[in-house]
Amino acid sequence: MKVAVIGAGLGGLLSASILSEMGYSVEIFEKLPFIGGRFTSFKYRGYEITTGALHMIPHGSRGPLAELLRKAGAKVEIIDSNPYGTALYGGEEIDVNRRRMPLRSKVLFALLCMKNWFREVKLSELERRLDDFSAKFLRAFLGWSFSITPEQTTLTKIYPVYRSILEHGGPGVPAGGCKAVVDALVDVIRSNDCAIRKLKVSAIRKGNCGFSVYFENGDTEKFDIIISNIGHEETAKLMGIKKYVKLEPSRGIKYSISVRQPFIEHTGVLFTLNTRRISGMNQVTNADPNLGKGNFLMAHQPMLTSNVKFEISEGLKDLKELLKGYDYEILAIQSFSDGWPVNRAIAGSDSGCKTPVSGVYVVGDGAKGSDIEVDGIALGVKDTVEYIRKSL
Amino acid sequence: MIVITESCVGCATCMLVCPADAIRVEGKAEINYELCKNCKKCVLYCPLEAINFVETAG
Ligand SMILES: Cc1cc2nc3c(=O)[nH]c(=O)nc-3n(C[C@H](O)[C@H](O)[C@H](O)COP(=O)(O)OP(=O)(O)OC[C@H]3O[C@@H](n4cnc5c(N)ncnc54)[C@H](O)[C@@H]3O)c2cc1C
Repeated sequence: MKVAVIGAGLGGLLSASILSEMGYSVEIFEKLPFIGGRFTSFKYRGYEITTGALHMIPHGSRGPLAELLRKAGAKVEIIDSNPYGTALYGGEEIDVNRRRMPLRSKVLFALLCMKNWFREVKLSELERRLDDFSAKFLRAFLGWSFSITPEQTTLTKIYPVYRSILEHGGPGVPAGGCKAVVDALVDVIRSNDCAIRKLKVSAIRKGNCGFSVYFENGDTEKFDIIISNIGHEETAKLMGIKKYVKLEPSRGIKYSISVRQPFIEHTGVLFTLNTRRISGMNQVTNADPNLGKGNFLMAHQPMLTSNVKFEISEGLKDLKELLKGYDYEILAIQSFSDGWPVNRAIAGSDSGCKTPVSGVYVVGDGAKGSDIEVDGIALGVKDTVEYIRKSL
Repeated sequence: MIVITESCVGCATCMLVCPADAIRVEGKAEINYELCKNCKKCVLYCPLEAINFVETAG
């Protein structure tokens, strides 16, 4: 069985390593000169600045990605955050694991969950009824984790994530950052004699048996199964399908900052509650000092308007206030939208790994299972592998 | 000459890989033509294919 994987992002690499371990003959095609998509980094002025990710695995060593990495035989050390996070609220730093929701908010939350049986409850409706801290925390959590606001999602869509955090716990940082995860997967793939080729796929056509994959350089190759790591929309375009579901992406801005004195004491997330835009920060050098010389801080915000320059100026105002009295330098400001977004589909609206054409699957962002970010990607890959195994 | 097109979203991958440190990004990439050596690395690494190389006369 010959499998083509289109795109060497995390979804593609995970699928390729699992399937090659199972004995499938897998070939990966990547259009860019680097591997890992939005989950890798480049050394820039002494810091491992990423192409996207905040160097975090949502559920650390206990979640679906860690489980799949172990299954694939990919060796990655994940440093679990303890505490998961703290929240900066009214000038005070509060441990979010310890803080209990006030009884009134708890009761209202339960009531809204019941109401949700009858109609979709927007999270902004929940937000309005919570106490000030819980409401602001909800907003910061959604901004940090998904680059969205409570207005953009519903209780039904986010509830599985809440359950998953209760089950698997909070985040972790891979030693070596997200690039270490990608490198470990590439090691597995290469040791199974699978090729990763730098080629852009320009079309896919279904034949009598199997598929023809067309490349930008004019070559063609035949495969039995196609796994696409480039989202449902781009995959449909490659197949020449005109009608497809258009998913709404989420957009955000990430700041990489070097700071002389440590700003965060722990390896988890610092949620920032009294800000215009910035929803959280982490200091990944606390988990792995090799990720940057000195203290390497990242801050993240959702984009609330389509005016990027304005969004950045709001974010910078926040940073100025947050880092008042600290000696810092902003190394990079990166904005993510359109074809290189934070998420190809707003959290909870991913549309599964199957496509209208049997034998063609989509993995990665846009085809996640119900969990956060790369842990959701791992669930989607697990499903895809199961479908492929059963279809034979 | 390196030209940044409308498709640039400001992800700054080009800035991270530029060997001449000739790119600044704040919402969109900007080339410092005094430093740019036309090596085209940014053209190859841009995830959105938003950077072009245009031959200039002379
Ligand atoms: C600012 C930001 C912060 C984030 N932080 C985190 C975090 O801390 N933790 C976390 O879990 N997630 C985080 N995420 C999300 C995470 O980065 C993505 O969900 C994940 O990297 C997506 O992986 P993927 O495999 O779906 O796609 P991608 O990484 O986009 O990979 C797709 C690959 O396909 C290639 N490709 C495209 N078209 C073709 C073609 N025609 N032929 C061949 N190849 C092609 C692309 O070049 C690319 O390499 C963050 C994202 C952003 C933007």
